[in-house]
Amino acid sequence: MNNLKDKIDALLMKVSKPTRYTGGELNSSIKNPEEVKVRFAFAFPDVYEVGMSHLGLRILYHLLNKREDVYCERVFAPWLDMEKLMRENDIPLFSLETKTTLDKFDFIGFTLQYELSYTNVINMLNLAGIPILSRDRKGLPFVIAGGPCAYNPAPLSDVIDFFVMGEGEEVINEIIDAYIDWKKRGGEREEFLQIVSQIKGVYVPKYYMEVYNQDGTIKEIRPIKKGVPEKVKKRIVKDFGNAYHPEEQIVPFMDIVHDRIMLEIFRGCTRGCRFCQAGMIYRPVREKSKEKILDLADKLIKSTGYEEISLTSLSTCDYSQIEDLVKKLIDKYKDKGVGVSIPSTRVDAVSINLLKEIQKVRKTGLTLAPEAGTQRLRDVINKGITEEDILEATKEAFSAGWTNVKLYFMIGLPTEMMEDVEGIVDLAYKIVDNYKEVKGSVKNLKITISTSTFVPKPFTPFQWTAQDSIKDIVEKQDLLKKKLKSKVLKYNWHNPYMSFLEAVISRGDRKVGKAIIKAWEKGCKFDGWEEYLNYDKWEEAFKEVGVNPHFYANRERSLEEVFPWDVIDVGVDKRYLIREYKKSQEGRITPDCRLYCTGCGVKDFDEGVVCFEASKK
Amino acid sequence: MKRLRNKYTKDERVKFISHLDLLRVFQRALRRANIKVAFSKGFNPHPKISFGPALVVGATTEGDYMDIDVEEDISPEEFRKKMNKVLPPGIEIVESYEVELNDALSTKIKGAEYILQVNVKKSIKDIQNKIEEFMKRDIIEIEKESKSGRKMVNIRPYVLELKVIYEAENYFKFYIKLKLGEGAPNPLHLLKALNDYIGDLFDMDFYKLHRKNTILE
Ligand code: SF4
Repeated sequence: MNNLKDKIDALLMKVSKPTRYTGGELNSSIKNPEEVKVRFAFAFPDVYEVGMSHLGLRILYHLLNKREDVYCERVFAPWLDMEKLMRENDIPLFSLETKTTLDKFDFIGFTLQYELSYTNVINMLNLAGIPILSRDRKGLPFVIAGGPCAYNPAPLSDVIDFFVMGEGEEVINEIIDAYIDWKKRGGEREEFLQIVSQIKGVYVPKYYMEVYNQDGTIKEIRPIKKGVPEKVKKRIVKDFGNAYHPEEQIVPFMDIVHDRIMLEIFRGCTRGCRFCQAGMIYRPVREKSKEKILDLADKLIKSTGYEEISLTSLSTCDYSQIEDLVKKLIDKYKDKGVGVSIPSTRVDAVSINLLKEIQKVRKTGLTLAPEAGTQRLRDVINKGITEEDILEATKEAFSAGWTNVKLYFMIGLPTEMMEDVEGIVDLAYKIVDNYKEVKGSVKNLKITISTSTFVPKPFTPFQWTAQDSIKDIVEKQDLLKKKLKSKVLKYNWHNPYMSFLEAVISRGDRKVGKAIIKAWEKGCKFDGWEEYLNYDKWEEAFKEVGVNPHFYANRERSLEEVFPWDVIDVGVDKRYLIREYKKSQEGRITPDCRLYCTGCGVKDFDEGVVCFEASKK
Repeated sequence: MKRLRNKYTKDERVKFISHLDLLRVFQRALRRANIKVAFSKGFNPHPKISFGPALVVGATTEGDYMDIDVEEDISPEEFRKKMNKVLPPGIEIVESYEVELNDALSTKIKGAEYILQVNVKKSIKDIQNKIEEFMKRDIIEIEKESKSGRKMVNIRPYVLELKVIYEAENYFKFYIKLKLGEGAPNPLHLLKALNDYIGDLFDMDFYKLHRKNTILE
């Protein structure tokens, strides 16, 4: 018993959580690889329980497997114990479904969800025995990438053969068809890259080059291949209401991070928070009809047996018929013990009422995201809520019986001063008073305050701003640690080195890419896991390749500067971003564009793009 | 309410599912099959499902048992059919029958039979004799970890039978019959003790363990 499967089994006897690697879950796809034309490995550069919690993977997996000529399998970053055993026993990275090593696939498609997973991308390729640099690859497979971080393709430009910009379900079939055609003809590798470079939404990094100024900023991103587009436009699913959504979902054996049905009820967000990349890059807002959602919910509950259904989107309470939808779902499935959950809560009475409804089946927490401690700063970031909103919502919740509240804030926001940080403390204590008023004492009250550190992101109105220095962040965190000391308060903060690295990479150019590879060579991986982040190694890596990370994280840019991601067009106009940036400096807010169009440009981006606003008329 | 006792199998495809995860697998299957399971009363109600003794992660079985209390009038046969339609590939209920509500599975289980296959590092001569010698001893000690630290325990009283049933060039197959209950060893404990006894000739990295049957009273 010594074939690959047996060897893997022998390792699985020794590792933690072996079902991370076995596949075979309910609703996973079983096909004969001999009978398909294209084998696609969907690669998530993190561990199984994180990757399986990701909706994009689930949509594309089932979408691809609907095709008879394609077999999409999954692969995740093996956890450290497994990787060690694999390397010791010369077992290359393999797919879950058929235990096929990755070099046998036609495509390896990575989804880039967060920058700190980039060393894992490189590590996975290396574990698969595939050259980590695109230029060293010959023959198959093609290593491709998509997802929100792909919108700044520069840092992984040496690694990825081509990027897919925008919503994968819109473009992946075109790529597959072109591939089948190319393979039939027996074309050269290079030829296929040329073919896909003509598909809208595809960016082939080697056909472009970054030209720098004296000061290290970018002068231009120059196309160096005839016929490739100057700017690569992202792809948008136009008829989202009828777009593909799986009617089944893989049910993992082990407990994963989001172990429930994920049903996407709308895409995009109209709120226009200025720090939020998702709020910009997923525009426009497109909803599924209530009938469609109810129908999908029914099929998903039947096919999975899950006890919970999560209505996902960037801001679920904004769904136009949310109250009715939740009520219908609760009424229909409460006897089966199926609960509903909504991932984020708006700060208003409607949301609290929704939670009360949800509570009928399953206890649910109260999570609010004021994001900033003072009104001034909330206006700067365009978080359209007031202190009264927050206090009213919590009061309402306390009266309804909640005793635990989670509050999310960001520190290091543009223009933030110590008063704003103190504002977080004040707000927390006002909520405590609030509770006392309702309940007479602080008995059972627990308020958890979490701060993340602001990371300026491409394609947001804050893409020009500097991130706070690590020293400033630590000072702000120390203040909060000191002042949020109380029996009823708990304070969580985010590792500032992680946020710093995220800032360097998210606005990084191709030079930063060299540092990422160097850091991996030094052993960095799982950088998003605090216990495995090795910042010293990163610092060495930056030094050795001659990259000053502060140039990327802590420098304020001029409005004229050319960015590494300017070669990509996400639909939101740069002039709109500049306008929003300027308004932020004046502390002026921009209303939710559900009320009226505020001119971000996505409406005129492409034929057939319809905004929520336009469809209402 | 009625209690259904089920004998189920778990094959190669699902042998790494832990005991705890298996409970969830059945709960979700029950929901897919639209069968109403009974819940315990009290502050934290949980479904009334109980399993026989845990199988080692990585082992297959063709004879494990579980009891499910159902809240509806369904025949064991119908229950079995409905469940098998919705269980993940690799798990199957092969037998279902009704038992009294006060009949607790845990008190019924007496022992289990296993087939254990292990690779050998080099050829072993007269293994049969060695096993006989090994089994003749009154005490077979293994090291067990407990809260109070490591200690040696005697597993000999639990071992009812151990014999070689197949000898290939590079692997052996054993038949093992063990008593189950408090403090009982699993077959791998026994294999390890045997391996120590014969001078480390097995390749303990490559083994396959299969529970042939659970012996009920
Ligand atoms: S084009 Fe107007 S309505 Fe559409 S997303 Fe942009 S701001 Fe909102």
